[in-house]
Amino acid sequence: MENNKVRLNTDWLSACGGCHCAIVDLHEKILDVLGYVQIQRCPVLTDQKDYPPADVGILTGAIRNEHDRHAAEKMRKSCKSLIAFGTCAVYGGIPGAALAHTREELLDRAYRNNPTTETSVPPGEMIDSLEKIVTPIDEVVDVDLYLAGCPPHPTFIFDALLALIEGRAPKAQDQAVCAHCQRNMDRCDTDRIQSYHEGIPDPSLCLLSQGYVCLGSVTLDRCLAPCPKNGVPCTGCAGPTMEILTEPNRDIRTEVADRMARLTRLEQPVIIKAMERSAKSHYSYAMASRMIGEKSTFLIRKWIAEVEESL
Amino acid sequence: MVHVEINESGCRGCRMCVDICPTEVFEFDEPARKARVRESEDCIGCLSCSYLCPSKSITHSDFPVVKNFYRDLQFCRKKEAFL
Ligand code: SF4
Ligand code: SF4
Ligand code: SF4
Ligand code: SF4
Ligand code: SF4
Repeated sequence: MENNKVRLNTDWLSACGGCHCAIVDLHEKILDVLGYVQIQRCPVLTDQKDYPPADVGILTGAIRNEHDRHAAEKMRKSCKSLIAFGTCAVYGGIPGAALAHTREELLDRAYRNNPTTETSVPPGEMIDSLEKIVTPIDEVVDVDLYLAGCPPHPTFIFDALLALIEGRAPKAQDQAVCAHCQRNMDRCDTDRIQSYHEGIPDPSLCLLSQGYVCLGSVTLDRCLAPCPKNGVPCTGCAGPTMEILTEPNRDIRTEVADRMARLTRLEQPVIIKAMERSAKSHYSYAMASRMIGEKSTFLIRKWIAEVEESL
Repeated sequence: MVHVEINESGCRGCRMCVDICPTEVFEFDEPARKARVRESEDCIGCLSCSYLCPSKSITHSDFPVVKNFYRDLQFCRKKEAFL
């Protein structure tokens, strides 16, 4: 029986661990999966330090140091097919957002002047130092499948694993977060952009209609919309929609402004101007990937490279 | 012939498809607050509705594919591998 099971290895690179928790979060459904899958190496479940030969490999996190690079290569060698799992693995994710700061700034904030701990020195030579930039794993090893989401909702994980086990072709669903948001997109007289901390949004009305900048319509749905369902605008953690990724002229701020202008009395240029004040955060989850980094409407990667060069 | 479909549960009732379609393929169901396909046959396959739809809930099948020269081809290949 064991021999018929799909052998699974997982590993985490520069990641928060949330993606591995999401795998465990399949709850009782994990038992269904365990009927078919033999988990060999998984940092949160097993004490296996090596990389035994496996059928499927799940890699979470991005590459920021020598260890990450080494682990990604080990996983690629040991697994027949490799899944980039979670936004960090697919686009660089949260570690990728660190590109908006220099390495010195990061070390200072994390180790020397961290407001929440008393650590006072950066780690010494025993630990690999930070590479210049964050690299999504598919720029280092070949990746067979991608599952975005920060982390992906267990519904999507379960469907993806089942598709793999059953040997059927996975079907890319490209609905946006709005598809699972319960709010009604009604036209309103709103004529002012609201900051996230202002007022209490109407629970049944789309946040855009109320003047809050919500990135739901420009974000791939791999989460079932928990944020807007709970009154918080979406910040795009699963990465941009397929349209934005594939078409160089489509951009988060113009797409959101177009829709928001149709739902409110705000003019598109006013919305764009307001959104540009927080431009650094729009692509924060995907800015390390080449698809976004080389987009003609996106300049952050270029600015950072210039700063790093000048150091 | 082009076939247009709306994923009903994903429709947020914004009416943007009704407004943008040049050939009035859609109509709005007021009591249900959802857009409906009125006449698939009238669709000219411009895909304006599918781009504008905030939830990406409109799908088209059987439309003539024109080579899209300004696409990011590298990502288009990757898209096939998205779970
Ligand atoms: S994708 Fe999100 S949940 Fe997963 S490891 Fe990265 S930061 Fe954590
Ligand atoms: S824009 Fe935001 S609030 Fe409005 S429907 Fe989409 S996800 Fe919901
Ligand atoms: S920020 Fe957006 S994409 Fe991320 S979990 Fe919330 S609703 Fe989903
Ligand atoms: S554009 Fe999409 S969400 Fe809006 S009414 Fe049409 S189908 Fe529904
Ligand atoms: S593709 Fe163009 S013509 Fe066809 S339904 Fe959409 S907007 Fe109308």
